Amino acid sequence: MSLLQSKPAQNDTMPVGGSSPQSRHFANLSRFARRGFFPIITLAAVGALWEVIVRVSGVAEYLVPTPSAVWSRLTGDLGYFLFHGLITLYESLGGFAMGTVVAVVAAGVMAHSRLLERTVYPIALLIKVTPIVAIAPLFVIWFGFGSFPKMMIAALITFFPVMVNTFIGLRSVNPTTMDFFRLLDAGQAHVLFKLRVPSALPYLFAAFRIAVPLSVIGAVVGEWFTGDRGLGSVIIVAHHNIDMPTLFSAIAVLACIGLGLTGITALIERRVLFWHDSQQSGPGL
Amino acid sequence: MGRGDWEQSVVENRKPHVTFRGLTHEYGNGDARVTALTDIDLEIYEGEFVSIIGPSGCGKTTLLRIVGDLLTPTHGTVRIDHATPYEARHQRLFGAVFQDAALLPWRTAAENVSLSFELNRDADGDDKNRDVDELLDTVGLGGFHDSYPYQLSGGMKQRVALARALAARPRILLMDEPFGSLDEITRPDMGYELLRIWEGRPTTVLFVTHSIVEAVMLSDRVIVLSPRPGEIVDVVDIELSRPRLQFIEESQEFADYTALMRGLLKGARREPLAV
Ligand SMILES: Nc1ncnc2c1ncn2[C@@H]1O[C@H](COP(=O)(O)OP(=O)(O)O)[C@@H](O)[C@H]1O
Ligand SMILES: [Mg+2]
Repeated sequence: MSLLQSKPAQNDTMPVGGSSPQSRHFANLSRFARRGFFPIITLAAVGALWEVIVRVSGVAEYLVPTPSAVWSRLTGDLGYFLFHGLITLYESLGGFAMGTVVAVVAAGVMAHSRLLERTVYPIALLIKVTPIVAIAPLFVIWFGFGSFPKMMIAALITFFPVMVNTFIGLRSVNPTTMDFFRLLDAGQAHVLFKLRVPSALPYLFAAFRIAVPLSVIGAVVGEWFTGDRGLGSVIIVAHHNIDMPTLFSAIAVLACIGLGLTGITALIERRVLFWHDSQQSGPGL
Repeated sequence: MGRGDWEQSVVENRKPHVTFRGLTHEYGNGDARVTALTDIDLEIYEGEFVSIIGPSGCGKTTLLRIVGDLLTPTHGTVRIDHATPYEARHQRLFGAVFQDAALLPWRTAAENVSLSFELNRDADGDDKNRDVDELLDTVGLGGFHDSYPYQLSGGMKQRVALARALAARPRILLMDEPFGSLDEITRPDMGYELLRIWEGRPTTVLFVTHSIVEAVMLSDRVIVLSPRPGEIVDVVDIELSRPRLQFIEESQEFADYTALMRGLLKGARREPLAV
């Protein structure tokens, strides 16, 4: 469907000033370079400073490791970190997917009837205000070891922001457009799929930006309680052994996972929401 | 059938098409009650181009929404050939263009126009694409079938909205200040283009505006409403010949009509027209 088309190339008969697809592509690349340049420089500078301070001051490695020690631990056993990282990634994404599906269905149900809204919303709110770390041990007891309890925790933490935003999105239809649908005697299904759902997409993506990193938190918290697999359990084990390079390596891999997922979400958003106001502003920084 | 013949048959038959009887609408209740319209009695004839003019807040939008069954009046009735607005809406008699083009931003111009076909359960599939292309050409958007709304100017979006409304083949076209957000340069052009398109189709048009020039230029009759609560001050027949061509605004006759209308809107009693 048209929703999934990428931003169309603008030819020169268009009234809006635009650039060719090629130059747009280069603009994206150079923007990426510009965006990446300063953070990477800053990160490198902080790392170098850190290395020097640790070496000069002689702080023990079990308190603060040098970046070089972390780097050699990480690259020396890359397969190990990759294995556990992929498990955490799998649990995060699985939980995110489950949470999103349930949240969207709940939002649809709530948008459909005020009565259900009054019933479902307070329960959802209760889930939201309950600290996820407090529920995690319970899930481990209920669902045992393996990936499932972690996914459930990630799903739970994903659920609320996605549900609330989808609900608001389904309700945030342009009233004039709604009038047009009614005037043409459009059926319920048409109003839902041709109007409400596409109107809700910008809200859904706004929720994803929050929920995607949250789902990684959910997975890691789950792994803390069942020290079998995943970066969360790697962290717990390293913590017991006061193995700082391993601990920092796991944190670094988690940061990369978060960064990657956020980037991919933004990329998909740009393709799906090419028509939305949020995508029309020029290259921002 | 050309517009001339059509005009002729309108005059001969004078068959009421849309009938208002004692139409009154109040919003809210108790202290918050606002009377938007009072006691509207009116007949609109088939194929007529009728403008409704009046100051902001006098109930013009309310009137259109009642006709289109988007609002249920508190008192009085509207009939479209004996059908209630509800029945007429289910018979798909209406098309509409609002001040806000209200296009679906995720669809191209062509996809927006074909929305009217998609929403119509009885439309048959084969002619659709040809009709969409034809309609977009008719409203002067030949090269923009695949453009998205964010790539179009305000005037172009209104053209798409007009094509989308026409795609439903409405018998009654409801237009609520469709050119209200356009600049003074684009606006008259849109008016002439609307006339040209309307002249080829036997469609009744209810056109809300607060532009006197626009009302005189386009209409067979102009309904003048008083400030809130909206009441019919007068109904003016515009006897300018059709087709109305560019620069008709410059004629003396036209100036007389606008002067008359200005007077009526200021609350003056109607004086015999000196033409
Ligand atoms: N939904 C509503 N609730 C309460 N008052 C309304 C509502 N819609 C319109 N009104 C009031 O009714 C009057 C007529 O409104 P409207 O028909 O929109 O006027 P117009 O289109 O001529 O500017 C206005 O005074 C407006 O404030
Ligand atoms: Mg209005």
